[in-house]
Amino acid sequence: METVIMPILRFLGVFMLQVFVFNALEPGFGIHIMIYPLFIALLPFNNNVFSMLTISFFLGFIIDIFSNTFGLHSSAALAMAIARPPIYNNFSPRDGYDNLKLPTILRMGFRWHLVTFGPLLLIHHLWFFALESFRLDELFFTLKKTFLSAFITFIVCMILQYIFFKKEKSR
Amino acid sequence: MRNLIAFLERFKIFIYFIFLQVIALSFYFSYISYPRGQFLTSTWAISGTFLNFQNDFIKFFHLEENNVVLQQENIRLRKNQLSNYVKISSELVQKNDTIYKQHYDFIPGKVINSTITRRNNYFTLNIGSSQGVRVGMGVFSDNGVVGIIYMTSRYFSLVKSVLSENSNLDVEIQPTGIHGYLKWGGTNPQRGSVIGISTDIKLKKNSLVYTRGGSGIFPKGIPIGRVEKLLPIEGKPIWDVVIKFSQDYRSIQNVYVIKNLMQEEQKKLEANIPAENKK
Repeated sequence: METVIMPILRFLGVFMLQVFVFNALEPGFGIHIMIYPLFIALLPFNNNVFSMLTISFFLGFIIDIFSNTFGLHSSAALAMAIARPPIYNNFSPRDGYDNLKLPTILRMGFRWHLVTFGPLLLIHHLWFFALESFRLDELFFTLKKTFLSAFITFIVCMILQYIFFKKEKSR
Repeated sequence: MRNLIAFLERFKIFIYFIFLQVIALSFYFSYISYPRGQFLTSTWAISGTFLNFQNDFIKFFHLEENNVVLQQENIRLRKNQLSNYVKISSELVQKNDTIYKQHYDFIPGKVINSTITRRNNYFTLNIGSSQGVRVGMGVFSDNGVVGIIYMTSRYFSLVKSVLSENSNLDVEIQPTGIHGYLKWGGTNPQRGSVIGISTDIKLKKNSLVYTRGGSGIFPKGIPIGRVEKLLPIEGKPIWDVVIKFSQDYRSIQNVYVIKNLMQEEQKKLEANIPAENKK
């Protein structure tokens, strides 16, 4: 029950937050906060790569429909989803991941998130902003946008996790 | 054959990734170059309805400032009314001997979704083809130019705003009336630039920039902004005129779509220009 309902609720929550709240926020300096990569990062560890790619594509697709980006979000979400397994495998703990649990910040810690979710966000944002401008003479501006947005998005995602996930009881 | 299967087996994830990526990117690049349908945009009926719903919530926060803007516009229009003027000398008689014909019609609408941080920014309006909006019509607000209709569906339409790469509106800078093209640099939603003005022309700071009305999309004299500074372009004898937009696109609410009733006539006339002169 919980394994079916909760991901769907999380999917809807991320989608609503992105489309109705963070799309409307304009912090300036070209920053665009995209929190939906958090959903892809928080899929269970043992998730099939095929289903992960499909879910990411679908999530990006419906966000595209609501923000007039014509496929940019789906493309960037796919790029992030395919980069997830190698990065996660690289930073796995010594005795492997607990497949049943979600990789939230409360379980895995801030350091682990910084080295896995951080690069994933950078890949996603770089892909998004590079495709969006699609020209080399704006390279510096694209990079600036990427790093600033990724930084802000990372902080927002950490805060969201602290708000929406319960701390597990220590045994 | 076995090798092929082994190859596919090994790279199946990557092939699936490429397959989905091709779908996404073909959508993206075909929409960027030419709008084909309304499937993937917010003019789609479902997403349009959702965004309208969101707008119903948000619009109350802007009621105050919208009222102020409308009041100011009312005052401006009231000042122009004939009853507002007093005859100075009784000998002069004003004769109404000119017949006027309506040139432009305006359709009021509301912006229900907008972005300003992208390279090309699109606004969604809550009016569509059933209200008479057509692709290519101009859109402006009380404070300034907004953009050009890019795509329409039955009840919604999409505006390609001046905050995009190839907006290229023809503008003129008062009081000299010199004209150039409007560009947007992609960084700051409050500032744009006017290209195509030769460096031997003196421009003053704070001179007003208006639409020129050349292409028949906008009437002449819709405000765009003020000249802020002049930057030289390396290797070219033209200015990069930085202007500050008079409309703050971050808080845009009420807009008007312009219907040019004489567009056909102008187009028919301009079609007579010989082909070699067109560029």
